[in-house]
Amino acid sequence: MGDSQYSFSLTTFSPSGKLVQIEHALTAVGSGQTSLGIKASNGVVIATEKKLPSILVDEASVQKIQHLTPNIGVVYSGMGPDFRVLVRKSRKQAEQYLRLYKEPIPVTQLVRETATVMQEFTQSGGVRPFGVSLLVAGYDDKGPQLYQVDPSGSYFSWKASAMGKNVSNAKTFLEKRYTEDMELDDAIHTAILTLKEGFEGEISSKNIEIGKIGADKVFRVLTPAEIDDYLAEVE
Amino acid sequence: MSRGSGAGYDRHITIFSPEGRLFQVEYAFKAVKTAGITSIGVRGKDSVCVVTQKKVPDKLLDQSSVTHLFPITKYIGLVATGITADARSLVQQARNQAAEFRFTYGYEMPVDILAKWIADKSQVYTQHAYMRPLGVVAMVMGVDEENGPLLYKCDPAGHFYGHKATSAGMKEQEAVNFLEKKMKENPSFTFDETVQTAISALQSVLQEDFKATEIEVGVVRAENPEFRALTTEEIEEHLTAISERD
Repeated sequence: MGDSQYSFSLTTFSPSGKLVQIEHALTAVGSGQTSLGIKASNGVVIATEKKLPSILVDEASVQKIQHLTPNIGVVYSGMGPDFRVLVRKSRKQAEQYLRLYKEPIPVTQLVRETATVMQEFTQSGGVRPFGVSLLVAGYDDKGPQLYQVDPSGSYFSWKASAMGKNVSNAKTFLEKRYTEDMELDDAIHTAILTLKEGFEGEISSKNIEIGKIGADKVFRVLTPAEIDDYLAEVE
Repeated sequence: MSRGSGAGYDRHITIFSPEGRLFQVEYAFKAVKTAGITSIGVRGKDSVCVVTQKKVPDKLLDQSSVTHLFPITKYIGLVATGITADARSLVQQARNQAAEFRFTYGYEMPVDILAKWIADKSQVYTQHAYMRPLGVVAMVMGVDEENGPLLYKCDPAGHFYGHKATSAGMKEQEAVNFLEKKMKENPSFTFDETVQTAISALQSVLQEDFKATEIEVGVVRAENPEFRALTTEEIEEHLTAISERD
């Protein structure tokens, strides 16, 4: 693709040894809408703001939390279009694994594959890095898991994490609230409260999304009606 | 070699600026505005309608060859705002894709899937250096078997959103302000109301009364979900209805 002229890497070391393109990509993530995730003792929740550019947009046409496999879900902060590419590539990886081994891909392996793609886009010719960070929530034989993957391709497992606008506030809030024995419903409440902290305007089932997975190993995005119920509970 | 680190380099190909922005993509949005036309789309309860300006730059031109309305399939229409040459290339690829979809899966390509396909193409141009982004905002319309009337807008950054109503082009912001007022209560427009809301939105932002030959109107109705452009006479009727209403 695009041989010769643009086959050089766009992400190159600066004289001081930094990869500035990756730093700029992180800036893009940092100015994106807030997303967060919490690992509970019996499941994982991920949540995000869904602020749309205009009331003319049909909220039902936008799904920020996506499935990668039936037991793995993902959300992003940063550039929506870039996220779609990663979702497509990750689903394909998961499907190839399933076809080869006849069992669902473990969360760690899928995260590694996705992170590999993101790393490749920091070193390949003619491409910029992805302008997104991901939070991957899954439940497999190793129990509930939450990973964050960054544009550089680095990834870590978290008990709770946040990204996008207001990261630092959200993370401090999570640090205060998090307990090891937290159950899934508590985690959902905490997730909502954390989003509420830095939320501009009135929080409602139309402007946030929540995804959860419990011991049944089925990842599910909550319906607006379910979110309304949780919102009423945290009032 | 100073490639990639030189000042101002981020203006030439799609790489991040220090603020995490993509200049090339932002310029593509500007290109859409500088093309000088405005398009508007409105979704009703059982129909969807788009209106765009038709500026014929020369009297000797064949009027019918100047258009921004493109049928993608019999059931899906696309209105392109921006660089016409880019639009025609996009339309041709979209038609191929829709035909291939029909062949592969045995049913018509749904509007949202086509919109996603267009947006995915645009995304590639924001991340890979070998091609520039398209200077086009595409609105895709149709009546879906399961979800009713749909109106999607795809932009050079690779976003695609379903809309109750929307606009693109030079007076996009003004039109959006107008439409937000009209759509606030989530009205369920009849076919005539849908068309007339779209036309009057365009009249309002352009602040002029245009002739029926100066605009194009594309519609899809649930009762017969084929995309078609209204004839000059039909547009005339709606224009009269609007002026009588006011």
